Amino acid sequence: MKSILFFTFFVISLQSSFSQNTRTFGKGNIKGVSVNASSNTTNGIKTLLSTGYMPNPKASSRFLSQATLGPKLSEIQALQNLGIEPWLNQQFAMNPSFNLQAYVQGLHQNMVDSLNLQNPAGNYTLDNVFIDDWAFDVAWFQANMHANDRLRWKVSLALSEIFVTSRISAFDGNPYALASYYDMLNKNAFGNYRSLIDSITYHPAMSVYLTYINNHATDTTGGKHVFPDENYAREIMQLFSIGLYELNTNGTEKKDGSDKSIPTYDNDDIANLAKVFTGLSWSNSRYLGENAIDKWSYTKRLKFFPVDSSEKYTKLWKKPIDWRIVNGHEPGIKTFLNQTVISRPVQQGEQDIQDALNIIFNHPNVGPFISRRLIQHLVSSNPSPEFIERVAKIFNNNGSNVRGDLKAVVRAILLDPEARDCCGEKENTAYGHLREPFLRYMNLVNGLELSNQSGIYRNVMVDLYNRLEQKPLYSPSVFNFYQPGYVPDGPIQEAGKVGPEFQMLNSLSFSNYMNGLHKWLISNDPVEFWGMFSNETYKPDQDPKFDISADFVLSKNNRIREFLDKYNLILAQGRINQENMAIIENVLLSMPLTIDVNGVPDPTLADRRLRMGIFLIMISPDYLINR
Amino acid sequence: MNRRNFIKNVGCGAMGSSTLLSSLTSLGALNGLTNLNKNAPGEDYKAIVCILFSGGMDSFNLLMPTGTAVGGDNGFNEYKALRTDLAVTQDAANLLALNNPQCSSHRGKNCAYSAYSVHPQMSGIRDLFNSGKLSFVSNIGTLVEPIANASEFKSSLKKVPLGIYSHSDQIMQWQTSVPQSRNAVGVGGRMADILNANNTNNGISMNISLAGKNIFQRGQMISEYSISDNVDPNNVGLQSFPSYWSNSGLLQEMRTHAIDSLVAKTYANLLQKTYSTTAKESMASFAIFKEALKRVPTITTSFPNTSLAKDLAAITKVISVRQQLGAKRQIFFVNYGGWDMHDGLLGGLNSKLPIVSQAMKAFYDSTVELGISENVTTYTISDFARTLTSNGNGSDHAWGGNNMVMGGAVNGGRIFGAYPKMDLSSGNNSNISFRGNFIPTVSTDEMYAELALWYGVSPSDLCYVLPNLGNFYSYSPNNYPLGLMNFSQTPISTTNHPLDCLTY
Repeated sequence: MKSILFFTFFVISLQSSFSQNTRTFGKGNIKGVSVNASSNTTNGIKTLLSTGYMPNPKASSRFLSQATLGPKLSEIQALQNLGIEPWLNQQFAMNPSFNLQAYVQGLHQNMVDSLNLQNPAGNYTLDNVFIDDWAFDVAWFQANMHANDRLRWKVSLALSEIFVTSRISAFDGNPYALASYYDMLNKNAFGNYRSLIDSITYHPAMSVYLTYINNHATDTTGGKHVFPDENYAREIMQLFSIGLYELNTNGTEKKDGSDKSIPTYDNDDIANLAKVFTGLSWSNSRYLGENAIDKWSYTKRLKFFPVDSSEKYTKLWKKPIDWRIVNGHEPGIKTFLNQTVISRPVQQGEQDIQDALNIIFNHPNVGPFISRRLIQHLVSSNPSPEFIERVAKIFNNNGSNVRGDLKAVVRAILLDPEARDCCGEKENTAYGHLREPFLRYMNLVNGLELSNQSGIYRNVMVDLYNRLEQKPLYSPSVFNFYQPGYVPDGPIQEAGKVGPEFQMLNSLSFSNYMNGLHKWLISNDPVEFWGMFSNETYKPDQDPKFDISADFVLSKNNRIREFLDKYNLILAQGRINQENMAIIENVLLSMPLTIDVNGVPDPTLADRRLRMGIFLIMISPDYLINR
Repeated sequence: MNRRNFIKNVGCGAMGSSTLLSSLTSLGALNGLTNLNKNAPGEDYKAIVCILFSGGMDSFNLLMPTGTAVGGDNGFNEYKALRTDLAVTQDAANLLALNNPQCSSHRGKNCAYSAYSVHPQMSGIRDLFNSGKLSFVSNIGTLVEPIANASEFKSSLKKVPLGIYSHSDQIMQWQTSVPQSRNAVGVGGRMADILNANNTNNGISMNISLAGKNIFQRGQMISEYSISDNVDPNNVGLQSFPSYWSNSGLLQEMRTHAIDSLVAKTYANLLQKTYSTTAKESMASFAIFKEALKRVPTITTSFPNTSLAKDLAAITKVISVRQQLGAKRQIFFVNYGGWDMHDGLLGGLNSKLPIVSQAMKAFYDSTVELGISENVTTYTISDFARTLTSNGNGSDHAWGGNNMVMGGAVNGGRIFGAYPKMDLSSGNNSNISFRGNFIPTVSTDEMYAELALWYGVSPSDLCYVLPNLGNFYSYSPNNYPLGLMNFSQTPISTTNHPLDCLTY
C-alpha cells in the first residue's frame, strides 16, 4: 500500500520472516531515530513507516554529494524539508533535461550564421564549417549549470566511466559523436541495462572506438586472410558486463576445487563472439566497409549488412559478374560462455547480435559486476559483500520480476544502509572514495553557485583537462581514467582493499590540482571562454566569476568560523574536524583585514580571506575522501 | 623558495626531521660542486629507463625478416603471405636493413631467419643498431615458466599468465614480471628496494615517472615521484600568490604550513591516510626538486617536438642534476600509448614509429653529451604483440613479440632470443591460434635479470627482484640470461641485502 505516509525504503531483511525489523540510524542521519520496517513484500524489499526520518544538514549534504555532482546550499536545505525518498522519486520522474547534440548543433549554427554575416560570399554551412570537440564540453557544462535532473547527470557520468568511449580516438574532432553518445547514456541512465548495452553496441562512437564498425566475416579465399575483429567481443565481456572471473552474487570470486578463481571465458569464446559483431556499418553506408559520410554519421544507429557487396561500389571498372560478393556477417553457429547462438541465414544475422546480448545480459555475473561499479562511483570504493549482494539482487529482480532495472539499482544503492549510515568507518576503515579530480571542480562550481545574468556559459574546459587529466569522454583508454581494482600502496594495500581513484593521485597531479584551485578560486578564473570562430567578440557574460561578496560580512574575525562552517557543510559535508578547522581558521585570522567605520570589511581583503579558506577546505583530506 | 626562506621554513618545523636532514645534505652539495653535468671518471651512477608502448605494439611490423631466397631464407615472402594486407611493404628493399644481426637460438628454439630489417620509418633505430648501441630481443613475453610448444600450452601442465590477451593484465605483468599474480609490485620498485641504499638522499624518490602512477616503479619500500615533461624550477610545486597581494610571500609560507599540517595528521580512515601520505611526501619533495632543477645545464642535443621526445628530454635534464639530487641509482618510466591498432594499422605505425625512432635516438645522443651513455640503459615494453593475421585493416591481441634495449653498455647490433617462423601450420609449434599468436620464447624475467645484474643487483638478490627467475635461469659467473649486457666495465655486485626471496 502506498500513501504519502509511507516512504518506500529498501531494507533487506536477513530473515525471511515477516517480523518487524528495527534499525537505528546513527549520526549523519537524525541521531537516535528508530525506524520500523513494515514488512509486507517478498524478496526482502520492505517499506518503512518513517515519519521521523528526515536528514539533518550534514546528512543532507552527504546524500547530495553521492547523488549529484556537488551540493548547493539551497538544495541541502530543500532536501532537509523534503526527505530523501521523495527527492529520489522526483528525480526519477524527470525526463532528461537537456539534449547535448541539439545544443552542439545550435552552437554550430551560430558559428555558421555569424561567419556568413561577416562574409556573405563565404557560403558557410554546417557541412563545411569545422566545430571543435570542445563544443561538447561547452554543452555539457551548460547543461549542468541548469540541470534539475541532478541524479541523472551523476549516474550518466558514472556510466561514461564504465562504458568508456573517448575522444582519444578516430572521432577526436567530432563533438556530435561525443554529444550523441552522452545523450544516449543520459537517456538510458534510469532504463534497463539490456537496452543500455543494445544502445551502446549500436552506437557509432562505440563501434569506432572498439573497432567493430565494418567488421567483416572470416574471409580466407582469394588471397585474403582476414578474421573478425576481436576488440569489442573482449571488452564488452571484460569491462561492460561480466569481468574475467565467475562471481558470487555478493561480488566475491567463485573458486574451483583447488581454490582458484574460475575464468569466465577464454580466447575461443572471444573469437566466437567476435563473429557475432560482424556486418555493422554506418546508417547511411551503401555497403559494408564504407567510410563515415559526415559528422552526423556518428549520431545514427548502426545498420546491418549481411552481405559484403562493396565491389559493386568500389570496383566500378569490373563487370557485375566479376564482383566479389561475400558474407558480411559471419554465418554458422557461435558458441561462447557455454551457450550457442544458432546457425541462421546471414540475412537474419542481426538476431545473432540480440541473442549474444541476451546471453551476456543473463550471465549471473552482471548483477554483482555492475552493482559494484556503480556503488564505487556513487558511494564507496570498498562496499561490503552484503551491500553488493543487496544491490545485485535488485539488479537480478527489481521486485516486479524485471532484470536489469537501473532505476531500481540506483535507488537500492543510495538507500542502502551502508550508503546512508554515516561514519561507517567504525566497521570499515576503507569506507568512502577519493573524489575524482573532475568531480572536485564540479563540487566547487556547484558549491559556490557559479552563475551569471545571461544563463549562458561558454566553458571549453581545455586548460582544466590539461591540469586534471580528466573530463567527460576523455579517458586515455577503454580502461577509464582509473581502474576499479586499483590498489594504491600503503595502508589500503595492507588492508586488502582498493582505491580506484588513487591511480590518478601522485606528486604531480597533487600539485596540478592545487594550482588548478589557485586559478579557479584565488585568481577567480573558473571558466574558459574561447571564441568559436576568428573575430568573435568576447562575451564576458558567458565567462562568469565566483562572487562570494554575500559572505564578506563573515570574513570578520568573530564570524570567520561561521564562514568556514558553511563551506565545510557544502563542500565537505561537515566532515572537517575541529582541529583542522582551527588550522584553517588560524591562517585566515592572520591575513590582514580592515574594517571601515560602518563595520564593513574591506572587500578586497575579505575576498582574499574567504578564498584562502575555501582553498584550504578543498585540499583537506577530510574533503578529498568523501565518506 | 630562496635559501633563506628554506632555512626559515625548516626552523618553523614545517618539514619532518628526516626531510630536514636530507634537504640540508642536498643544499650542501649545491654549494660545493661545480661542473656537475659531466660524468666524473668511474662515477658510480646507473639509470634504467623503461618506455612503455601501451596498447600492444604490433612488433612484428617493427622488426621483420627480409630474406627472399626461395628454398633458403625466404623470411620476407613468408611474412608477406601471412600478414597479407598488414605487410609493411610488398618489397623488402623498402625496409631498413640491419647489419649482420646474428640472431641465433634460445632454449632450444632456433632463430627462423638470418636477414632482418626495421620499419622504413625507423632510421634512427637502424643507426643505433648498426653502431652497436641497440639490440632487439625477439619473441619475448610474459611467462611463469618455459612453455615449449602448443601442446604444453594446452595441456594445463604449465602455468599460463593470468588474463592472457587482456590489456590490463598483460600491461601489468610486463611491469611486475609475475604473471601468476595480480598482487605483485613492480620490477623497478623491487630493484629500488634493493639499491636505494646507494643513494645519499631520499628527498626525491630514485624512481621518477613521466607517466604518473605505474606498477613498474612501485616496490615494497619505494614509490614513484611523478613529474611533468616541463622540467623547470618554476613549474614545481605550488603556484605563488599574486605579487600585488600584500605579504604574498608570508601568505605563501602560511599556506604551505597549513597544508603540511592538514596532511600530517594521523587519519583513521585508510583512504584519508593514503591521500595524506602522498600529499605529505609531495609537499616535502617540491622544494628539493625545485632547487636541483636550477642547476640544469644547457643541453645542446635537439629533441623533436613529440610527447615521447619531450618526456625523454625531461629525463636527460633530471639525470643532469643527479648529484644535486644525491642519486647514484635512478629508474625512469615513460608511457607512449596509442598502439591498440585493431584498425588502421599501417597508417598508425607510419605515424608513430618515426616518433619512437627519433625520440630514442635523440635521447641516446643526449646521454653521450652528458658523458653517461654507458651508465644509462633504455628498454621498451608493450602489453603484447598482435595477431599475425589481419582482421581487415588491423590486428588483434596476441602474446610474444619483439622489444628494444638501448645504451652504451648494451651488447648492441644483435637479436637476442629467437625470431619465430612466419608460419601458422602445425609445423610451427610456437603458434597457439589460427590468428597467429606465439608463445614467447624469452621470458620478461630473463631480460630483467640481465638488466638487474648490470644495474648492481647481486646474484643472490635476484630472487627478490624476479620471483620466477629460477624457472628460467640460475646465475653462475660469465653465464648470463641472454648476453644482452656488456659486463666488462661493470663487475657483478657482491653486496647482498637482507630481503627475503619473494614467492607468489
